[in-house]
Amino acid sequence: MIWRRVFHLLCFIAWLALPFFLHAQEGHPLTGTWSGDWGSTATQRNHLTIVMNWDGKNVTGLINPGPDAIPLAGVFLDVTNWTIRIEADAKDSSGTPTHITAEGKLDDIGSYHRKITGTWRQGMAKGDFRITRD
Amino acid sequence: MKPIGNILPGAVLAILCTAPFLLSQRNFSTTYDSSRQVKLQGTVTRIDWANPNAFLFIDTKDPSGIVTNWAIQFGNPLELERSGWKRSALHIGDALTVEGTPARGTVRQAFARSIVLTRTGKRVFNLSAIPRAAAPAAPVPRWPDGHIRLGPPQGKKGYWGTASTKVLAENSATKIGMTDDGLLLNIADSDRVAPFQPWAKALYEYRQRNLLKDDPLARCLPPGGPRQFLMPNGFQFVEQRDLGRVLVLLGGGDRNWRIIYTDGRPVGQAAEQVPSYYGSSVGHWEKDTLVVESVGFNEKFWLGPGGLPNTEALHLIERFTRTDLNTLKYEVTVDDPRTYTRTWTAGWTIPWVPDQEIQEYFCEDNAESTFVR
Repeated sequence: MIWRRVFHLLCFIAWLALPFFLHAQEGHPLTGTWSGDWGSTATQRNHLTIVMNWDGKNVTGLINPGPDAIPLAGVFLDVTNWTIRIEADAKDSSGTPTHITAEGKLDDIGSYHRKITGTWRQGMAKGDFRITRD
Repeated sequence: MKPIGNILPGAVLAILCTAPFLLSQRNFSTTYDSSRQVKLQGTVTRIDWANPNAFLFIDTKDPSGIVTNWAIQFGNPLELERSGWKRSALHIGDALTVEGTPARGTVRQAFARSIVLTRTGKRVFNLSAIPRAAAPAAPVPRWPDGHIRLGPPQGKKGYWGTASTKVLAENSATKIGMTDDGLLLNIADSDRVAPFQPWAKALYEYRQRNLLKDDPLARCLPPGGPRQFLMPNGFQFVEQRDLGRVLVLLGGGDRNWRIIYTDGRPVGQAAEQVPSYYGSSVGHWEKDTLVVESVGFNEKFWLGPGGLPNTEALHLIERFTRTDLNTLKYEVTVDDPRTYTRTWTAGWTIPWVPDQEIQEYFCEDNAESTFVR
């Protein structure tokens, strides 16, 4: 009986996962919406949503789209090793300009849910970041 | 806490639930290791005569008497039937010898090159000797007004078969060493396949190094763009002249269809329209050539076998010229400035299959036979 439940549960989970396999994005590997977080410790995390789009010459986009969106100033992808650097200019809670530099590596490129992990610097703060393509 | 042994079989079963979708139409190079060969002697335990891949299963016995079951893939049933192969050529219980290419890793699966029946010594299957029947020569069929017919002559049947090439590469390139599923024999040749932008070349080479395992077609997604005319199992044009459109019915992929409008509407697609695998197509006739422009593609497919990428900026110009009853000349110009440094052209011919209809084919149909066991 437990067996059957486990089986049905796992089949259901597998079925839920199917759409992710069935709707891959096969164009520029950075194009799309990415979500994750950054922070200096495992518990102090800041949510991240990054939208990127390849226009044929540059990758443009936004960090945390919405009223406080931060335009991407530059996205540099080194296709020889799939490393990426993201530059942006934000303002902190007091309105002081703050520069963001994120450097990471693109992994699992063949997957719809490809990932970028690396280091995140925002003003004086430094931490790691992880984002996954939604 | 329950022992993992209680959970593991359930997990395996769950994987089996999804495996058909993941493995159903894998590339040959992804599944099989061409650098190795295997010779198996055994007894047929099951024959799976269904699309897209015919399989037979044989029990083999090693010197110590241990029996193992092998899955033997031996082609596409439609192709085999067209080549004169009969389902009744093999029976459960037949002893036979199979020579072929084994699957990668330790999976007990092989792709047959030859199958010899032990009792008769007769070679019932020989991959290299599958004959191709040539259709008799005849002029281009035309409508009463003199326009070329893209489909069968009046009162006849038939469809367009397997292309003269199985890969997509720029015409100006000299012959590039490539397997039928688009795997380069020398990855340094990637520059010659198409004028890639750096990111596109890197992505193409990544897919090549991964033996094309991420091919969307392996997940039964549609063969968008020019790949639709590189599929086995053919396609058919249905010209609805009164409606100002031509339907393309595809035998490969998953029996998809596409509409080419010939009613004079402008090329384009509304910004709100969902990008698609086949795009929005508008065609017009230039003498005896149907010229089709398409835009509005999504980024969910590979342009051709081998992993050529595209973006939503893709704009295709296709030229269909029926040079006689039995030959369709296909030429495609790829214009995607976000992926390629310039426009480029590829082309091939496609033979007419007379007096037959496209047979039923579904990508997922017998996918369970492709389980990695």
